[in-house]
Amino acid sequence: MTIDEAMRWRVGVDSGGTFTDVCLFNEGTGAIRVWKVSSTPDDPSQAIAKGIEDGVKRAAGEGAGNETDAPPQVTYIGHGTTVATNALIQHQGVQTGLITTEGFRDLLEIGRQRRTSLYDLQADKPEPLVRRDMRIEVRERIHFDGRVEKAIDEAEVRSAVRRLKEAGVESVAICFLYSYLDSTHEELVKRIVAEEFPSAFVSASHEVAPEFREYERLSTVIVNAYLGPVMSSYLERLRPRLADIGAIVPPHLTQSNGGVISFEAAQETPVRTLLSGPSTGVVGALHIGRLAGFENLITFDMGGTSSDVSLIDDGQPKQVSQATVHGYPIKAPMLDINTVGAGGGSIAYIDSGGLLKVGPESAGAVPGPVCYGLGNNEPTVTDANVVLQTLNPTQLLGGRMKIFQEDAKGAIEGLADRLGLDVLATAQGIVSVVTANMVKAIRVISVQHGHDPRDYTLVAFGGAGPVHAARLARELEVPRIIVPKNPGILSALGLLLTDLRTNTSMTRLLALDESALEPMAKAFATLHSQSADWFERHAIAPEARLLARAIDMRYAGQSYELSVPLPPGTIDATMLPMLRQAFESLHRQTYGYTAAEEPVQITTFRLEASGIVPKAALPVYPDEGADAGAAVIGRRDVYFPEANGFVTCPVYDREQLRPGNRLIGPALSDQMDSTVLVLPEQTAIVDSHLNIIIEVSPT
Amino acid sequence: MTVPPDQQAPGPARPTVDPITVEVIGNAMLTIVEEMGETLIRAAYSTSIKERRDCSTALFDIKGRTLAQAEHIPMHLGSLIGIVDHVLKRHPLDDIRAGDAFVGNDAYTGGGTHLNDIVIIEPIFYEGRFIAWATNVAHHADFVDRGHAHIFQEGLRIPPVRLYREGVLQEDVMEMILLNCQVPSDRLNDFRAQMAANRMGIQRFEKVCAKYGMDHTLAACEALLDYAERRTRAGIALIPDGSYQFEDGLDSDTFEGTLELKVAIEVRGDELFFDFAGNPPQVRSSINVVWTALLSLIYYAVKALVDPGIPPNAGLYRPIHVSAPEGSVVNAIAPAAVFSRTQVCQRLADMIFAALAPAIPDRVVSHSTGGALVNFSGINPRTGKFYVYNETVGGGLGARATKDGMDATMAHCMNGANQPIESLESQHPLVVERYELVEDSCGTGKYRGGMAVRRRIRAVDHEARVFMWGACNQTPPLGLFGGRSGGISRLEWSAGVTPPVGPNCIVPAGESVAVVSAGGGGYGDPGTRERTLVQRDLTEERISQSTARDIYGLPTD
Repeated sequence: MTIDEAMRWRVGVDSGGTFTDVCLFNEGTGAIRVWKVSSTPDDPSQAIAKGIEDGVKRAAGEGAGNETDAPPQVTYIGHGTTVATNALIQHQGVQTGLITTEGFRDLLEIGRQRRTSLYDLQADKPEPLVRRDMRIEVRERIHFDGRVEKAIDEAEVRSAVRRLKEAGVESVAICFLYSYLDSTHEELVKRIVAEEFPSAFVSASHEVAPEFREYERLSTVIVNAYLGPVMSSYLERLRPRLADIGAIVPPHLTQSNGGVISFEAAQETPVRTLLSGPSTGVVGALHIGRLAGFENLITFDMGGTSSDVSLIDDGQPKQVSQATVHGYPIKAPMLDINTVGAGGGSIAYIDSGGLLKVGPESAGAVPGPVCYGLGNNEPTVTDANVVLQTLNPTQLLGGRMKIFQEDAKGAIEGLADRLGLDVLATAQGIVSVVTANMVKAIRVISVQHGHDPRDYTLVAFGGAGPVHAARLARELEVPRIIVPKNPGILSALGLLLTDLRTNTSMTRLLALDESALEPMAKAFATLHSQSADWFERHAIAPEARLLARAIDMRYAGQSYELSVPLPPGTIDATMLPMLRQAFESLHRQTYGYTAAEEPVQITTFRLEASGIVPKAALPVYPDEGADAGAAVIGRRDVYFPEANGFVTCPVYDREQLRPGNRLIGPALSDQMDSTVLVLPEQTAIVDSHLNIIIEVSPT
Repeated sequence: MTVPPDQQAPGPARPTVDPITVEVIGNAMLTIVEEMGETLIRAAYSTSIKERRDCSTALFDIKGRTLAQAEHIPMHLGSLIGIVDHVLKRHPLDDIRAGDAFVGNDAYTGGGTHLNDIVIIEPIFYEGRFIAWATNVAHHADFVDRGHAHIFQEGLRIPPVRLYREGVLQEDVMEMILLNCQVPSDRLNDFRAQMAANRMGIQRFEKVCAKYGMDHTLAACEALLDYAERRTRAGIALIPDGSYQFEDGLDSDTFEGTLELKVAIEVRGDELFFDFAGNPPQVRSSINVVWTALLSLIYYAVKALVDPGIPPNAGLYRPIHVSAPEGSVVNAIAPAAVFSRTQVCQRLADMIFAALAPAIPDRVVSHSTGGALVNFSGINPRTGKFYVYNETVGGGLGARATKDGMDATMAHCMNGANQPIESLESQHPLVVERYELVEDSCGTGKYRGGMAVRRRIRAVDHEARVFMWGACNQTPPLGLFGGRSGGISRLEWSAGVTPPVGPNCIVPAGESVAVVSAGGGGYGDPGTRERTLVQRDLTEERISQSTARDIYGLPTD
């Protein structure tokens, strides 16, 4: 190791609503440091720059052999942001106009015409992001077979663009029917916007989501246009701040697919960053799981107000190409992350039929649970854990926060009286109900897609994840749990472990037979050349380039596709039986049957391009034997329904647990930002990366 | 306190289950029906199932009481609640084996509400004991270009018969059904998807039993019914006691004249009594409503009005009492035709809301679109095969006490999606020319009704047979508390089309027809609408200058 190397830091910054987490990795020593600063919601770039600057200085100052004057260098910045998501939730995008096919300007409001909530008469459809008078129709029409019935008229387009300019829009979305087949009309509009209205952000549907189903494509391009200027101005503020603190490397931003892209690419397609935050947690969890030797994972990130769960099969996070985000259908590659309103702060109550319910109402961080003593009187999940003493009943955050257990008990008593149960059974009931909510969320991403949770390992993180993982795993019959060393900052860590990634696609409806071979080869040639450009733009070295092809297929009469990977190799007739077989085996796995006589149809070709970046390598520690006695810092009586009462459990200090140490349940391990619960009949072992691995006993 | 079942002392036949286990098992039941629904939709062939999601899934106990129903289409409950009774009438309980699957659709002997909704139901056995039913219903896009004078004209009537016997497909039955369908290959694959959905439900139900014990699971299901009943009663109790009535007309392209419909509701404590005496006799047209369809619309209306969060199970039905004269249009007997039964159902739902409006003004909504439908069929010149395209067209929903009604949405008992244009044009020889909101169709009021929709479709290179209707061409959706009526529905056609006879029409190649749905009624005096909202509706071309000026009194230049 040279001194120079010891001064090189890779930085991950996860900017959340309350805190900005910075994770620093030293390229020379392999040291990982964590730094937290308060977020600056008005201009998040302030906290980000400050967090990096302070974090690097502090981490560099700690280092031994640091006598040189050479300043620390930032060699990589990975950033996860909620800017796009927040602007969409709060409807703080810009005034946007739409240019679309004659006869279809109202498609945005008609949508799929269904009620979002079947019985709730007060429910509404999502607010249209473009006003009706800002949606302008032009005469043009392309057909399903690519035939142009009505050519587009340049003069008409020019006047439409001028109208939008005069109306004061800042952004223009373009969406014509069948633009995924023939993009010339959209390209013409784009050119005219550039000529007539160069200051506008412009986004065309064939670029953002070149796939069929017009409403979903329209919704995607509109969300993109609506968020474009917001993301641009955010990144334009952030870029000089990063330069000011001496970070000269091009920064990267995470997308919803778990990969990172350049700031420039994120500015063009902000719609692809809506799940920027949670997707990094998934990447972090995958890395931790792999190091521990497991590639089939269910990730479980439980925070204060919600939980995010996702499935990783064979080292591949499950991806979807479409999802509904905050009410808006989005066609973009996203990790299949399911979010439920169940977190530590979720409030428990009794409904009009007398049953106990938990969430989605949350006490948030302020005032937080009753036991924080900051004014909330409604019992939360955390209060239940404090009463059961799963969580420390006197203090949290390593002593920085006092806990008022009596207040929590009082609040839960109120529910207990009405349920006719005692306070402990009620507290345990709150935990059971919130666990059931999360079981439901995990079943959606696992069993509903043909994956059996018994074949997976649960990675539990977020502040509340490790507290609830043991019970959740037992319900799902998941055999094993991994709790990372720093469950609270896994997202920031994930930013140091993320590759560059882009997904391209092309819709062509074709029968799976010899006639498909030529269009298939042509489509992939186009996608490959787009990826080659992307590799060039992101300066990715040839040896760091990875490509993965897939084809969406279905039985010719179905509407929903299954995505089948296409291995490398020349496209020729030998591929056809292999593709059919792969499709049928996936169909059987998903639906339980195949239809041998039915023709199979191709709908969409997909190519994922990855640029592998050098990653933080986590340190490995030697085995120090099974005896964890040295890490015991006390004992706590914890309520277990299995034992019908309190059981005295050893409490371990997470910082002092060493590789090889064994924990026999019931046991607890406390750390600054979380507590790990090991149930009776479960055992846990600390692995060489200081993860706790819990073996879940069968019930 | 939660005690694992195996640690409990053996007790009477029905163990008590604590409220927390009930909640956990209740969640499991809802997850099962949702999973069944996803399987059905994703595997199906019919556009009506895969794109329009016109299907429903449910679990029943052996007596036919609903344990859980997925949130798809409220109307379908009618088909589902009927079939168990009819299966059991024909097939003694101890004759039913694991792996039997019954198929049925008849409105009078099969528990259906119209023939396109075909039900498949399969028993769930656990440790050799028959404990529940997994079932689903799907709207098959078939039986088109038929008559609707009586049910024999409307398609194949299927009483509940075994499609599978102990896991073996009864090929004779399948052949018999497919021969009577116009698009048999789609039917076959839709049946496969329906079977897959039930099988999924059975496996999941067995797992719940394995986890919690069969007796506890069944006891929890029983407790869930009691729970739904309590919540329903709690909601009804908040409605002031009294007798409430409403009368309204209904017309449509599918029958002559106007039907004068009536509903009388008595609220007594925590119970509701619906009386439909005085409604017209059933008619020789497709709009007759059978008993279970009437029940399902009432259950929808009550759940929506008193508490949308009530679990969708049979406990909800207990405090609700219904009487309707047999042989009337709201309780039809064989052989009345039933294809377009939703026309009457939608208007009855409007009327129930309007009747209760004086009692619960902040919960009701004004009248909504009565529905609109268009079916195209013919020989597809691109394939030489017969095709069926069917579409229900959303419209304006009634305005609410504190906000406007939803635009361009499916109302009440219906909730089918539309078909993506890029998908339907690739599949059928049709071009959608326009798909738009209709200006001035929203009933004016302090809060305005939702806007209606126009969908205009052209036949390409072939002559198409079209069946289409709008319900409320002369009897518009009414407003409440001074709100005005929404726009009426109507049919439109291009110059080369011979004007439709009732709902039937022949569309030559290159010609087009359009269905225009109705708009929602307004709520409250239009004179009191906030000026900024009137101005915005005007700027956005949702209302005309004259509406803004003459009805809302907005000064214009």
